[in-house]
Amino acid sequence: MASKVEEELRRLSVEMRILEQTAETLQARMNMINAVITDLTYANITLEGLEKQKENAELLIPIGGNSYIKARLETPDKVTVGIGSGVSVEKTLQEAKDIIKKRLEDMEKNRASLQQQFSQVVERINEDRARFEELAAELRKENPSKNV
Amino acid sequence: MSEEFAKLPPQVQERLLRLQQIQQTLQSVLAQKQQVELELTEIEQALGELQKVADDAVIYKAIGSLLVKSDKAKVAADLNERKELLNMRATVLGKQEERLRSQMKELQTKLQQDLAPVSGTQP
Repeated sequence: MASKVEEELRRLSVEMRILEQTAETLQARMNMINAVITDLTYANITLEGLEKQKENAELLIPIGGNSYIKARLETPDKVTVGIGSGVSVEKTLQEAKDIIKKRLEDMEKNRASLQQQFSQVVERINEDRARFEELAAELRKENPSKNV
Repeated sequence: MSEEFAKLPPQVQERLLRLQQIQQTLQSVLAQKQQVELELTEIEQALGELQKVADDAVIYKAIGSLLVKSDKAKVAADLNERKELLNMRATVLGKQEERLRSQMKELQTKLQQDLAPVSGTQP
């Protein structure tokens, strides 16, 4: 009887470890997606604001380190958008907005799906933990001298 | 673990170490293959996007942190060249993976035979 319980405890312990690793991986992917969503949201806000600007408007372009250089808006209707592999294509402002919006929607969908998987994994970990504690208590009752 | 390991016959010890080594190499090959496949997917997507734009569209190619003006035909040619190179690399890595897996299987079978009498005598 005890060996069966011990076997089940071992199985649960292994399963919980694997599930915890899965949860960590999912969390890391969600963090990455959140960073991309923040980046895309900034791009979207910038494009929305740019729409209201006229040609030759004076701009300050961020160069990092909370520092800016002065520039003039030469072509307010032209936006260059990256398409991956280091390639960027010039688009109209509206096209660029549509692309960014589409990417944002895709990322939100990804995040929702990851969140759902994460919740399922966490739920399973909690179930396993409860079962583990139950079995451990059972085993302690059976063998009070044994340290489980 | 190390004490038990030392009790094993030298030949078995050697095989176990070799198995560990192969497993590490396999992990590294798999990581490289994944990286290559990721880059290939990105190139495919970029080529797909590129097909949708007009032939005279304004295109830039990243060189470090700079974007340098280029054109559709040149960028597509560059991407296709890179794709070809990566496909070759993926094939090589695939062959390496296959070889390592078969070596691993062979060693595992040998080790199972080596360890069968040992574990059989254990209570």
